Amino acid sequence: MTSTIAPARETVRAADRVAAARRHVSMGETLAQTMTMAWRAVKKMRRNPEQFFDVVLQPILFTAMFAYVFGGAIAGDVESYLPLMIPGILAQTVLTTCMVTGTQLREDMEKGVFDRFKSLPIARIAPLAGPMVADLLRYATAATLTFAMGLLMGYRPGGGVAGVLAAILLAVFTGWSLAWIFTWVGTIAKSAQAVQGISMMILFPLTFLSNAFVPIGTLPGWLAAFVRVNPVSHLVTAARDLANGALVSGEVAWTLLACLIVIAVFAPLSVRSYKRHI
Amino acid sequence: MRAVIDSATMLRRRLTHIWRYPSLVLTFAGVPVVFLLLFVYVFGGTMGAGIGGDRAAYVGYLTPGIMVTTIAGAAQGTAISVATDMAEGIVARFKTMAIARVSVLTGHVLGAMVQTFIAIAMATLVAVLVGFRPSASGLGWLGVVGVLAMFTFAITWLSVALALVSKSVTTASNLPMPLLVLPFLGSGFVPTESMPAGLRWFAEHQPFTPVIETLRALLDGRPAGSGLVSAAVWSAVIALAGYLWARRLYNR
Repeated sequence: MTSTIAPARETVRAADRVAAARRHVSMGETLAQTMTMAWRAVKKMRRNPEQFFDVVLQPILFTAMFAYVFGGAIAGDVESYLPLMIPGILAQTVLTTCMVTGTQLREDMEKGVFDRFKSLPIARIAPLAGPMVADLLRYATAATLTFAMGLLMGYRPGGGVAGVLAAILLAVFTGWSLAWIFTWVGTIAKSAQAVQGISMMILFPLTFLSNAFVPIGTLPGWLAAFVRVNPVSHLVTAARDLANGALVSGEVAWTLLACLIVIAVFAPLSVRSYKRHI
Repeated sequence: MRAVIDSATMLRRRLTHIWRYPSLVLTFAGVPVVFLLLFVYVFGGTMGAGIGGDRAAYVGYLTPGIMVTTIAGAAQGTAISVATDMAEGIVARFKTMAIARVSVLTGHVLGAMVQTFIAIAMATLVAVLVGFRPSASGLGWLGVVGVLAMFTFAITWLSVALALVSKSVTTASNLPMPLLVLPFLGSGFVPTESMPAGLRWFAEHQPFTPVIETLRALLDGRPAGSGLVSAAVWSAVIALAGYLWARRLYNR
């Protein structure tokens, strides 16, 4: 009995010794290792195309459903609703997509692949930051599909190509920033299902209790007060200003500031929690 | 007579499950309640204006749609419980016992109807709390219960068949999902007149719309008219198709 346990203990000690003896990793090496991990995540996406189902299906289904089912009732006709709705769907899609980051991180941690990374002479943050870099591809896909779907349905953004690109970039950056929250949740939650549940509890009120689908003026007073301070509302308004009028309003600045605050708080929290749990 | 006694026993088994795991009922009542609150408070202002009224008028318009959405949501729960029984092997044991074969499925269906009605009652209570004021007479309420029972029975048999055709519990939980979309693609949340031509045609000719319109008329104190006949025909067709399909799959 003891003879089978002893080698296992030795292996763990050996892994710890390797980790302890690891030399200092430079900034350049950290970047290179992060990109290697990002490439690993991209390859995983390529081999599991179902990871793209939410990215592809959600923009198409939500855009079609909200426009055709509710467009007439909310704005009189579908075309009039699109300038209000498309930036809202953009925000919702990118934010829902970034939720997956935490779930996949938790799954990787459960599989024990991070224990292997721990024994490698690489920067601790690389396995964490790599998938987040790869996820930029998913956010960009979701955002582009949302606008493509809108264009197919008759949306003609007044901001032109530059305005639309700026709105997409802002949404992608916001998604990447908020993904740090879900990454942190991924490192502290007990299971992948728990991550999904917690993430939904955070995202559902933020996306639907915003100005994404209806003007703030139509909401009851108490709800309008929350919607005005909801960071998603700032993103939606900023995306609307950019896409519909190529206008870099104060909302863009507020959104970027909120993103930087989230990164400043949750990136260190995620790294610390991740280091403690592996 | 034997089939009735055995079905009653299986119903008691299902009710015991419901009693021991009330979280299931809460889960399936929870989704329609979230939809109700979301549509009343977030979309209610604009939707109310769209139907020529205000938020309060929209609550009255929305509630029948929420009732039917609850039925569609509960169908998922039925599919999960039937598929779980199949996967755990208890059904294989029942098949070796000297009981009426149909009783296992009938017990599930009747139990699911009880579960669905509890969920509908909870959703309706929340609707009343947010301003739903029906003007139905006693006879009207009887009609509402009848229409709901008829449609619940039909959708439940369909969900049992979907569970039996599934290879796993996960598949069984996903297969009834499209049913949740049908109230949206009908008159559940917005009038069909506000939809584009193609979608409007589909919305007016799918089974959920006559059921919702009948409930709306009865709760409003208006005569149900031809909508009631359409609702009854659709319910009968779905129930019969679901029952025959489920029986064939079960006896396989």
